[in-house]
This record gives sequence, structure tokens and C-alpha cells, in this order.
Amino acid sequence: MDSELEKRVAEAMSNPRNMGEMAGADAVGTVGSPGCGDMLRMWIKFREDAGKKVIDRATFQAFGCETAIAVASLATEMIRGKTAEEALGLSGEQLAGELGPLPPMKIHCAQLVEGALRSALAPAGTEAAGPVAPGPEQAESLLDKFTQPGSQGAKPRIVFVKPGS
Amino acid sequence: MREVLEAYPGAQRALFRGYHIGGCSSCAFHSEETLDQLCLRNDNLDVEQVIAHIVRSHDEDQQLLIAPAELAGSMKRGDARLVDIRTREEWEAARIEGARFFTQELLQEMLSKWPRGELLAIYDHQGTKSQDAAAYFQGQGFQNVKSLRGGIDAWSQEVDPKIPRYRLE
Repeated sequence: MDSELEKRVAEAMSNPRNMGEMAGADAVGTVGSPGCGDMLRMWIKFREDAGKKVIDRATFQAFGCETAIAVASLATEMIRGKTAEEALGLSGEQLAGELGPLPPMKIHCAQLVEGALRSALAPAGTEAAGPVAPGPEQAESLLDKFTQPGSQGAKPRIVFVKPGS
Repeated sequence: MREVLEAYPGAQRALFRGYHIGGCSSCAFHSEETLDQLCLRNDNLDVEQVIAHIVRSHDEDQQLLIAPAELAGSMKRGDARLVDIRTREEWEAARIEGARFFTQELLQEMLSKWPRGELLAIYDHQGTKSQDAAAYFQGQGFQNVKSLRGGIDAWSQEVDPKIPRYRLE
């Protein structure tokens, strides 16, 4: 990560906005690889504004790179007051906003936020939902390795070992 | 990449530490892609340099470890943060005093608020997954992150025998 971007990500991370689950949300969207559980989840609440249904507020929870969290923090601010259609029209690059242009290896972080937004706002199967491409099989990530203890079948049973045995 | 990981089990930790690749699903690699392809789509990284970095990873893995007694000393002085990455059932059965249970919320707090220079120690049952977790946090900029050698099992044998030992069946 270049130092300028690192600085901007650090700024966004020092005061992340809209983190956490939202009770009573009107829409919820999740993106992540099948083996990885919830990667980035976004909750959206609408309100009526001059006869239009606009986004009142949005919150998120994320597992992953801090760039993805920084982008989600900025994006959830940016989409306030927008209609679902307007929010869906924003590209990953636009959602990254003040983080500025992302280097190629970080673009996927913004695309992840774009994906979560699309998942929340566009019902699956519609044109706006976009193609659901499963993609090639991903190797288990480091985060998966220590956050998914129960993913390999039934939960193991804890058996205490007697001292001295 | 599958073959790279088979030959060098520490390669994934090394790649994330060095290049921020493979840490989460958004920067993951695919089992079928080659190291060459992975480098190409990540800012055209120099493949030879990446290979040399992976080969050095074993030594770095060793440096990630902290002995139970050494960590106990740091905990006593109050200059270490300890995170438990086991399951909730294990956490409820036995835990090291002063540790925090790892959750999604804690992950976000750690990434956004925890100082990067302080000692951050991670433990699991027997010190396997905590290696991956330590490498993950190292790749996120934590400069002094350690994995408890032998996990809570070693801690109960070497530091605090009051913590019950257990096995998973």
C-alpha cells in the first residue's frame, strides 16, 4: 500500500462510521466467498423524502482488509439521502470517495462494498443484481483459518484431561 | 498455489505479511492459479523476490512464537494484550485471565483502535491456528504480534496448572 493511501485508510479507520448491526433495517446485503461466511454485510434503512424513498442510514459489519472497512465506512455515509437506484449507480471507485484512486491490488476492497450494496438493494435475479459469478475456487484465507473453527462438520466435544494423565 | 502451499506450509502467512495477499476473501488467491499469475495481478510483483520471501518464511514463523513464561511476565507487567481465538465453548471451559474473546466486533475494534506497536499475543488450544492469526495481524500492521507457543494447553502446563487441560473429540 502506498504511504498516501495508507494515511487516508488510517484516517478513515481511526473514526470508522456506521459500524455494527442495525435493528429494524429494511434491507440487508451480504457478500463473501461461500467458504468464508459473512465477509461484508450491510444494513439499510429507508425514509420518505418528498415522495421518494431514500436511504436514511446504512451500517455494516466486515471481516477483512482494513481498506474494505474504510471504504464501507465512507460508502455508508455517501449513500445517505440517495434512492436505491442512485446508490446502485455508484461504482466501487466512487464509493471509495476520498480514499482516492486505489491501487490495482486494492480495487477488490471497494468492489466488495459495491457488491454488498447491490446485494442489499437489488433483489436477487434482477438485472441490477448483476451476474452471480461463483468464480474459481478460492484457497482458504488466513482469516478463514482462524475464524471458522466449526466449518468442518460437527462441533468437537471438549473433554477435560485429568491432571497427571 | 495449492502445490506452493503443500511445499511451503508457511507460504500463506508469508504472502500476507509481505504483500497483503491471501488474508481475507477479498485478497485471496485461487488454488488453481500459479504464483506467476498471482504476482502478475498484484502490481506485477517480482516472482523471484516473492519466492525468496516464501522460503524465508519458516524463520519468520519461528520468530512469531512467544513462550508461555515470557508472555506471563508481559501480562503481569500489563504490557501485553491477549486475544483468544478458540470457540466460545472452549472459552467458557477454560481461559487465560486477562484475555479477550475474539469476535467480529473485537476484530473491528482491533483494526481501528488498537495501537500497532504494543505486544499483541494470540492463543488457541495448542498453538496452530494462532500462527495464522498472528501473521494476519502482522499483515494488518501490528508490529509486535506473537502466537503463544503451545497455546492454552502449554500455558496450563508451564504457567498456571489451575487452568484445566482438555482435548477435543
